[in-house]
Order: sequence, then structure tokens, then C-alpha cells
Amino acid sequence: MTDYSNQGGIGRPGVRRAASPGSGASGSYARHATSQLSASLPVLDIDDAPQVAGTPVITFDRVSKMYPAQPNKPALNSISLQIYAGEFVFLVGHSGSGKSTFIRMLIREIKPSEGHIYVADEDLSTMRGWRVPYLRRNIGCVFQDFKLLPNKSVFENVAFALEVIGKSRHVIKTQVPEVLRLVGLQDKLNKRPDQLSGGEQQRVSIARAIVNRPPLLICDEPTGNLDPQTSRGIMDLLERINRTGTTVLVATHDREMVDNMRRRVIALERGHLTRDQDRGVYGFDV
Amino acid sequence: MSSLIYFLKESLHGFTRNLSTTLGSIITIFLSLLIIGVFLIGGFIVESVVSSVEERVSITAYVADSSNDSQIQEVRSYLLGLEGVAAVGFTTKDQALEKFRNSMTSNPEIIDQLDGQNPLPASLDIELSDPQKVEQVALALEEYPTYRSISEDPGNPGGSIKYGQKSVERLFTFTNYVRYIGMALVVLLIFIALVFINNTIRLAILARRKEIAIMRLVGASNGFIRGPFLMEGALHAAIGALLAIGSIELIRGFALPKVADALPWFPIDLGAQAFLTVYGLLLVFGLVIGFLGSALAMRRYLKV
Repeated sequence: MTDYSNQGGIGRPGVRRAASPGSGASGSYARHATSQLSASLPVLDIDDAPQVAGTPVITFDRVSKMYPAQPNKPALNSISLQIYAGEFVFLVGHSGSGKSTFIRMLIREIKPSEGHIYVADEDLSTMRGWRVPYLRRNIGCVFQDFKLLPNKSVFENVAFALEVIGKSRHVIKTQVPEVLRLVGLQDKLNKRPDQLSGGEQQRVSIARAIVNRPPLLICDEPTGNLDPQTSRGIMDLLERINRTGTTVLVATHDREMVDNMRRRVIALERGHLTRDQDRGVYGFDV
Repeated sequence: MSSLIYFLKESLHGFTRNLSTTLGSIITIFLSLLIIGVFLIGGFIVESVVSSVEERVSITAYVADSSNDSQIQEVRSYLLGLEGVAAVGFTTKDQALEKFRNSMTSNPEIIDQLDGQNPLPASLDIELSDPQKVEQVALALEEYPTYRSISEDPGNPGGSIKYGQKSVERLFTFTNYVRYIGMALVVLLIFIALVFINNTIRLAILARRKEIAIMRLVGASNGFIRGPFLMEGALHAAIGALLAIGSIELIRGFALPKVADALPWFPIDLGAQAFLTVYGLLLVFGLVIGFLGSALAMRRYLKV
């Protein structure tokens, strides 16, 4: 699949319009999904025509989230946006801007207080509890703290993700080495996480996130614990994964990374969507 | 099927991870089920004792020498119409004397001193199908006019009706008490076993908190996450139940015959059927406790 980040027009970074308001419209994009070929063609962004470039993987339709502790201060305030298949998106903002809430709602750890979230055409706010695991099988997750099991080897850590969704031993034996080769850890299958560097641990965690080949990869501060050199390696890896067609959403504080990569940037500030920009920059004063 | 094997593997893994609490919960279940089992067996024994005593509950109604056959027949058919009466027999004066003579074999001179006279009254012997009705039947008989007229002492017909009233009542209250205490004890023990399993599973869940978080993240289904813990609780319970069954089997093999020898008048013989029933009950009890205990723990500590 092709990279969509230049949808806004080549060399013309423009502020992307938020998803068209109206709850009915947002869901219908996916139903009129265009073919893969036409989806891969760049679409000119004409102001009054709705964006129908490809399939929206994620649609936020006027989503707000209030936590019971602070009922008057919403963590997210009426966010509307769409993320399309194959995009690479940075989610930036200070601590407390709502990045984590955004991600936790995407994997249905929490439900929005108002509005609707659609992931691949499915409404998360009305989704039944028993379907949530199947949603999560389609979303890979990478975190700042890696979340690896210390008593398992690299291979076992990655295999665990397949084991617990009931994949056969044959699938595990073929897919795990393959994905570990992709992240460059084919020589460290039997090492334990504490024998690896931080960057290598994050690669294991990325391998675990994509071993089931999810169409969507969400990373929450993937380079938060890593030095710039290592971070660049991780970002290269994420970009490579993105090139295979996986939609990648990265929440980050890493100004240098965002500025260097010039991908779509969604900026949150105190729960408000303040900027949605193709080929954007980090944009906050640190 | 493969996930069942996975659950079993994981729950066995839980054994070694938390050996002391695992042993603790197995032992509590074992002891609770053992005591429940002993009580059930004891209950069966008491039941058989009571029923053998109950079989002996009967009413004897003495009649005057002057009564004639038609009156006696009338009272007899009246009694047979009452609820709880199984059979009504009749003992003549001669038969009563014969019985008395047989029971007095140790000093036959008492009979000789009667000088051919027979002071013993004839009697109606009432056998009851429902021993609890003994008082009711006795009262109904006392009120019945024909019996009043032929009773041995017409001024006080109640005095002519004899039955083991007091001893029967005492036995019933005693067995009822035993039953209530047993039930209370069983409820208490089940509660304790539940608390123990609950705690063991809670520790197992806490020990695997990180794994569970990752399982949720990669989309393991709720059943898959819960399975090992349910299996672990059930396994503890099953092992506890088997230990209890083994112990009762040992008691049955070694201790019961000795008790039976020491108390020959006590009908202790129960037969294999009763024991099999108790074993089945213990296994079911154990599994219910195991599943319930781990389900409770999961409800509180494993929100999926």
C-alpha cells in the first residue's frame, strides 16, 4: 500500500479539515469503500468536497470524555477526525492534553462520554463487552514501558500474543521468527528481556504488537525511554511497518522525531483538537 | 480442546507458583469436606437408628374384661380408618398372660402366686405407619365413645392407653437438634472454604497481573483469561474432595468395624450405597465450592 501522508497536496502542507460533522455521515464513508487501486491514488483536497480517500480506519465523531473525578473539565472535548487506512499519524500534546484518553478509548479500555468512535466501521460506544477482545486483535499496541514478561524469552514473549488468542503451534513457529527477523532480533530469540537494551526491548514489544498482523498499530510514547539514536531506529521500523500497509498512530513528545518525519500531526491541547496538519511539525514550545 | 490443555497447564503452573496458599486452600477444602462427609455419614446412621426405633412405636389400649367382640371390632375398624395407623392387632387375656409368663422366666413363682387367676387385661395393639402421629391417634381413641365404654377404667380412658410418648418425643427433639447443628456447621465450613479458595485465586490473579494485562491488550477472550483460574479453583476443590473421600474410606475400613464390634446393639451397618452417595455429594460440593470461590475472586479482582 502507498503512503497517504501527501493527501493534502504535494509540498503544500495544509491544515486538514476535521471530519465532516454529522453522526450519520461518518459511518457511511466505510460503507462506500473505494477499491484498493483508487484508494492508493492521491486525492486532491478540495474544500467543500468530503474526503473519501480510502477507508477511514478510525473515525471520531464529536467525542468527549469526562472523568468522574473532574466532571466539569473534559479530558477530551468534542473531537472529530478521521484516520485513513495506511496513514502514519503523530498525536502530539503536553501531558494532560488527552493523548492517553484518546488511545485508551481507541482500544475500548474506556468508553466516550459523548459522541461515537468507529474503528473499521464498528461503533465502540455500543460495542458489546465480549467483542472487545476481537477488536483488540486488530489493534497492535506498543507502550513506553514495553510491557514484556520478564520470565519469558524474546521468542516466548512474542509467541504469547498468538498463544492467548488460540493460534496453533504451527502458526506460532512460522510467524514469530518471521516478525523477529523484521524487527532485527533474529539472533536474540532465546534472550530474556533483562539481557536486552532498551531499544531491543521496544523492538520485541513492537514485534509482539504486529505478529498477528493487525491493520492498525498504536504506539504510546514508544521512544519515551530511549536515547535519540535508538529512537530513530524505532521510528524507522515503524515507518517500515507503515509501508506494508499498516496504519500507524504514534502518540509522542519527541519533537525532533515529529519535525524530521513530516507526517500528519494531530495536536491536542487541554482536550481540544487544536491542529490537524499533513506533513506537520511538533509545534509546541518545549 | 487445546485451550483446555492450556488451562490445565497454567493451573498446574499456579500450584508451584503459590505452593503454600495452594496447600492451604486444598487442606481447608479437605477438612471441610471431611467434616461434612462425617456429618452426612453420622446423619445416615442416626437416620437408620431413628427409623428402627420408630418401627417399634406402637400404642397399647387395654380393654375391660366385660367388653364383647362386636364392641372390640367396632373400635378396631374405627382405628383402621385413622390416618397413620398401619395395623391393629388384638391380644386376649390368655395371650397377655402367656406373654407375661415368657417375660418373667427368671422368677416363675410370681405366676404361680396368681392361683389360676388372670389379672391381665386384653388389649388392642395399634401399629403406626407414621410414628409422628402417635399422640394424635392416642387422643382420637380416647375421645371415641365406644372405646370409652369398654376401656379398662371408664372414668379415665386415657389411663388405659399406653405408648412410649416421652421417649419418642425426646428422640425426635434430639435428632432435630443434631440436624440443625450439623447444617449450621456445614454452612460455616462451606463459607470458610469459599473464603480460602477466594483468597488463593486472588493471589494467583495478583501474581499474574502483568500477564493478564498483556493478554487483554493482545485480545485474549475473557473466557481464555478466566479459564486457568476457574480450573485452578476446581482443581484445588477436586483434590480436597478426593482426600476427604480417601479419609472417609479409611475410617470406614478401619474404625467403623471396631465401633460396630464395641456397640453390637447399635445399627451402624450402612451398606456401600450410602457411602457412594456421600462420596458423590462431597465431589459435587467440592466442585461447586471451587468454582464459586474462584468466580467470586474473579468478579472482584479480574474485571475483564
